[in-house]
Amino acid sequence: MFKRVIYEDWAKIVPIISFVFTFGVFAFATIRALCLPKNRCEQLADIPLKETEK
Amino acid sequence: MSTATITYDDRTVRRFMTASIFWGIVGMLVGVLAATQLSWWQMNGKFLEAITFGLVKSEGLSYITFGRIRPLHTNAVIFAFVGNMVFAGVYYSTQRLCKVRLASDWLSKIHFWGWQLIIVGAAITLPAGLTRGKEYAELIWPLNIAVVVIWVIFGVNFFWTLAKRNEPSLYVSLWFYIATIVTIALLYVVNHLSIPTSLIHSYPIFGGVQDGLVQWWYGHNAVAFFLTTPILGIMYYFVPKAVDRPVYSYRLSIIHFWALVFIYIWAGPHHLLNTSLPRWLQTLGMLFSLMLWAPSWAGMLNGLLTLRGAWDKLRTDPIIKFFAVAVTFYGMSTFEGPLLSIRSVNALSHYTDWTIGHVHSGALGWNGFMAAGMFYWLAPRLWSTKLWSTAMANMHFWVGLVGILLYVSAMWVAGITQGLMLSETNPGGATLKYEFVETLQTIHIPYMLRSFGGGLYLLGFILCAVNIFMTARTGSATDATVEVKLLQKEKKDRMTLSEAFGSDPVIYAVLGIVFMILWFFLPPHADKAALIVAVILCIKGISVFRQSSKTWAEYFNRLLENYLPFTILIFGAAAIGGVVQIIPSLLVNRAVNVEDRLQLPYTPLELAGRDIYVAEGCYNCHSQMIRTLVPDVLRYGPAKDQGYSRLGESIYDHPYQWGSKRTGPDLAREGGALAAGAKSMRIGRRDNLWHFNHFLDPRQTSPGSNMPPYPWLFEAKADLKSLPKRIAVQSTLGVPWPAMTKDEIEQSARDQAVEISQALVKAGAYLPDRPDLEGENLRRYLSETQVVALIAYVQKIGTYQLVETPPAEVPPLNPDAYRKPVNR
Repeated sequence: MFKRVIYEDWAKIVPIISFVFTFGVFAFATIRALCLPKNRCEQLADIPLKETEK
Repeated sequence: MSTATITYDDRTVRRFMTASIFWGIVGMLVGVLAATQLSWWQMNGKFLEAITFGLVKSEGLSYITFGRIRPLHTNAVIFAFVGNMVFAGVYYSTQRLCKVRLASDWLSKIHFWGWQLIIVGAAITLPAGLTRGKEYAELIWPLNIAVVVIWVIFGVNFFWTLAKRNEPSLYVSLWFYIATIVTIALLYVVNHLSIPTSLIHSYPIFGGVQDGLVQWWYGHNAVAFFLTTPILGIMYYFVPKAVDRPVYSYRLSIIHFWALVFIYIWAGPHHLLNTSLPRWLQTLGMLFSLMLWAPSWAGMLNGLLTLRGAWDKLRTDPIIKFFAVAVTFYGMSTFEGPLLSIRSVNALSHYTDWTIGHVHSGALGWNGFMAAGMFYWLAPRLWSTKLWSTAMANMHFWVGLVGILLYVSAMWVAGITQGLMLSETNPGGATLKYEFVETLQTIHIPYMLRSFGGGLYLLGFILCAVNIFMTARTGSATDATVEVKLLQKEKKDRMTLSEAFGSDPVIYAVLGIVFMILWFFLPPHADKAALIVAVILCIKGISVFRQSSKTWAEYFNRLLENYLPFTILIFGAAAIGGVVQIIPSLLVNRAVNVEDRLQLPYTPLELAGRDIYVAEGCYNCHSQMIRTLVPDVLRYGPAKDQGYSRLGESIYDHPYQWGSKRTGPDLAREGGALAAGAKSMRIGRRDNLWHFNHFLDPRQTSPGSNMPPYPWLFEAKADLKSLPKRIAVQSTLGVPWPAMTKDEIEQSARDQAVEISQALVKAGAYLPDRPDLEGENLRRYLSETQVVALIAYVQKIGTYQLVETPPAEVPPLNPDAYRKPVNR
């Protein structure tokens, strides 16, 4: 496989592998983001605004 | 729950902010000088004659010549201006996001003063011509070590602060800071691996194509992880603070973060499109650059939409103006970057000013305006007063914006014009229409506009400096004090490493990646087995996820409260791209595997000349790479059987010198064969006297050229004493030098220098500054000078030997040739 990617069929294989790999990461991050409960999201987003400096 | 009163360390923030403004002005001033040098060669030192009324007499001053100050400009802006700004923003926001004072005042002080000392070191060494010859990685090895030490101190101080925090969750800005710290450490160390030859000189351990790949893996990701991720962290903190409302979508910020960190690292090879870098790497670089569009725009939209409901402030609040335009420039430059990474677009844009315009829309628009917005927001708080002049901040905004637009549009026009002209052919298409210098003269006006635009931008930052200085004077330095609820130790960072990495999500993800990699590397049939296992793992992982999705979600929630496993995961996500791209290249693209052509090793004098070429920063204007494009081949590789640059032609070059910009023509085939009857003297495309006169006065041989003269090369002696050590280091790195004693090395260099200087004197070489020298005296004088060593090198560039390889099967000229015409 390595030889094929390096020397031979890179044009056929590399774009597809890249896309599948990246799509997997996107999907993973998206599922993870969607699974986060709404109130937890709001709590995290509010962290910078919760400061009370004297 | 107990509470405590905490005083933040804002002194460190004030220091870094002040340093950023100071070095920003210095870096931009150097940039404006460099820009004017491209329009008027006299700005390389000749102008000193005029402003000192003749006290200084010089055709050019080595310390301020373009090749030396361009690295000073880039390093000053990246590491001094943006670097100090990042440290100010990170230290200010981290304390507040963690509700704790910085972990160690001492570490903060060492960090600040150490970083400034490194910058001073760079400001001294770079104009002196002490460089590693790699873009944005020019600093000499002792400074590299200092950078690593100070970066580690920064990292320790940051992570120690995280460990002491009183807020259980890690806000998204902190994720971006973590990614910055761990990834820059990785990139910096790998790209700066060198073997010293003296206290001020070293050779990188990678050479040729490997060095190019590692360099742009670093160079591109310096943009990603030094100029982007920390600024995004700053955006996610300061924009909500400025408009007093939370980020538009926290969920989007999660997708933005993970996708960006994972994808960015793969995109480096787009800096080497159409070169002799293996095609599969070029394709990876292009594809991942295109896929960067998605996360980059997610971030831009998230930033801009955070301003929802506060748009009315755009008219009155300069801080919101700076932030809104900065985020817009982030979107524009992250649209343009992937566009330029498409191989066919890159064929036009690469090596031209289009790339320079792109870089500056990011640096001036995104980084510079985020910095300005942050400074104006911070100054009243750090000095407990009001901003001295809102009107002046508004003036800064408009002057700066007009400056950026002028700069960037001038570079677009210059780059596209020159790119088109360089590929324009005469009717018939077999010959090129324009000489290189004609294309340069055509873009003279855009070059002047660039200097003017840059000058305006600099003026804006001078206004900023005055405003911040006056704000500080009217107020008093104040460290904010807050009362916080103390977080008990058992409520944070409870996840052990075995818990973190022994859980289902990580096990399935890691095993899946391992078997995907095995699919790459295993021999036939075994690779298919690995692929099947990877697919089974995916299916199994999905099924486990469906059964226990709550546990998986809980796992990620816990990660947000545990910085150590979180950091290790970020490191893994960022490192994988580099591993997949670099390791195969290190294994395969070596001299022993080269087919077709193999570079001829240098002689000692040629190596001395090459080191001068690197020290003078010639790579800033001249490439050594004929791309696999017809116009490139027609212009630079037309001689019989030469064509485009092959991978093996620069395989022994430590550092590689493919370059990234052509202000002058490519030099990949400047060298040639041994001169008739000569022992070691070569004659390439031009004879020795042409080069001699060209270095003395470029316009004598190339009318219209903007290259600076190099009078000091005719005075300084070539350093032959250090050659034995340099050659020994190169041998260690695998360059096939023949066995020579120290005396033989020096004698060889002297013999070649004598041969060249004899030829120069015979051809009529004349030194205007030394009219007393002629004949044998001139020959003896010249044979010791740097210019002769440099000529020896230039006459060697691109020479190669053919490597015998088994005859390859010749593919059909037209892949569709099997479709025979059907006679009806």
